[in-house]
Amino acid sequence: MSHHFIEFDNVYFSYPGGHEALRGVSFRITHGEKVALLGLNGSGKSTILLHTNGLLLPTRGTVNVGGIPVTRRTAPEVRRSVGMVFQNPDDQLFMPTVEEDVAFGPLNMGLEIEEVRRRVADALQRVGAEDLKQRAPFQLSGGQKKAVALATVLSMEPDIMVMDEPTAELDLRARRRVADIISRFNHSCLIATHDMDLARELCPRAILVADGYVTADGPTPEIIKLFTSVI
Amino acid sequence: MSLRAMHSGTGHSPISALALLIVTLLYLGLMLSVAPEALARLLWFALYPIVMAPVAGEDYGHIFCRSLVVLPFVLLIGIFNPIYQTEPAFTVSGVIVSRGWVTFVSIVVRTLLSVQALLILVDSVGFVGLCQSLHRIGVPSVLTTQLMMVYRYMTVLLQESLDMTRARQARGYRGGSMSLSMWGSYCGQLFLRTVARSERVHRAMLARGFDGVIPVLKENKTWSGRDTAAVIVIASIFILFRWGPLPALFALG
Ligand SMILES: Nc1ncnc2c1ncn2[C@@H]1O[C@H](COP(=O)(O)OP(=O)(O)OP(=O)(O)O)[C@@H](O)[C@H]1O
Ligand SMILES: [Mg+2]
Repeated sequence: MSHHFIEFDNVYFSYPGGHEALRGVSFRITHGEKVALLGLNGSGKSTILLHTNGLLLPTRGTVNVGGIPVTRRTAPEVRRSVGMVFQNPDDQLFMPTVEEDVAFGPLNMGLEIEEVRRRVADALQRVGAEDLKQRAPFQLSGGQKKAVALATVLSMEPDIMVMDEPTAELDLRARRRVADIISRFNHSCLIATHDMDLARELCPRAILVADGYVTADGPTPEIIKLFTSVI
Repeated sequence: MSLRAMHSGTGHSPISALALLIVTLLYLGLMLSVAPEALARLLWFALYPIVMAPVAGEDYGHIFCRSLVVLPFVLLIGIFNPIYQTEPAFTVSGVIVSRGWVTFVSIVVRTLLSVQALLILVDSVGFVGLCQSLHRIGVPSVLTTQLMMVYRYMTVLLQESLDMTRARQARGYRGGSMSLSMWGSYCGQLFLRTVARSERVHRAMLARGFDGVIPVLKENKTWSGRDTAAVIVIASIFILFRWGPLPALFALG
């Protein structure tokens, strides 16, 4: 299954208003690779992630996911294989109950109701949130929201996972659980994080971004050494 | 009402969301079709929110107070009736009451009762439950999804304004009135934040395959024999209120 790859080729992106957030980003992640995306606040990590499933489209350059060039037209198809966990779970959760929120993705994929229920139960169990099933996402603590947000993506059983700060706000046990989920996920994974321990533990490879450029790409320990030496 | 209750409802209603929706629609239809002069008949309908609120786990006093927000609006609409409709309707202990006053009171009462019935419905089944039930009785999903989106943006707006108020208080703002220029920048900020936030929410929905229709996993409670019974009983009572021979609740009309 070598088709689970992500390829950025000289990607430029400017936000409306003119801020140029990406200035020629290129990298390739092959099947099964787990890659950490490192960089200071505002360096462009979230912006890169939003390009992996066509939520943002390059102003110049191309993004290719599993052989499909990401365009407005192909985006819905790409989104079936790329699961994205957002930086802020409040943006991600919007249904009245946790259960319905986790079911949202699978239902959109047109799955049978029985299959949807199985996936919801499975995803909630994996993040340790079975008990929260009937709760309103509003009511949850920051860490619980984060766990549920992860479940909403796991339930879609994506081929590629893209995560923005998956461990921010998590307590030790929840962080451990997320790390286990990621390590057991045997497809490609791109993780933007400030959690260096997580990067070191889960991702053999890291990409360092600064000011919208990829400034380094290589084995995680070396990249972290480089990163910490420049700040 | 808490944000949560607004979102998913208190869930205390003993009948399903769909049954409560049907009851509410029947209520509105029959109550609003009472002739403008038939005040006595109209007042019988006031029993519904008073009885239904506690049944649905809510406080009638609270519902009543919230329904008062529409008062300025109805006063504005109805206030000309007493001026234009001066023919006498009836006399109360020697004082002649004109038809205009009767229709004026009638408009106010109808509006308050309608709003109260709707508040009971929305509080108890939640906005999303309401949209889902509307869809089940045949309202096109384009419409119900639109409604849900509007509602979703309203909650975002509310949350953002709450966050901003907290942030202001945390930095030592002591209440009192804001100056006009402060209000200006506050509203401007609120608008920008809401737009940005809505955009992020929308993105997150797209990322999970949202294609314009919010899919439904389940209804809060499924239809049961109890719902059928409740709808029949309540509908009969409404029909009695509407057409039945009833003693006047108050000595008018
Ligand atoms: N909606 C937006 N409109 C305009 N500029 C934006 C927008 N979102 C982000 N930016 C800008 O783009 C740049 C990159 O932002 P991005 O969110 O990708 O950073 P990040 O690496 O994810 O940072 P963090 O670690 O803080 O999450 C920043 O300078 C930011 O100010
Ligand atoms: Mg970010």
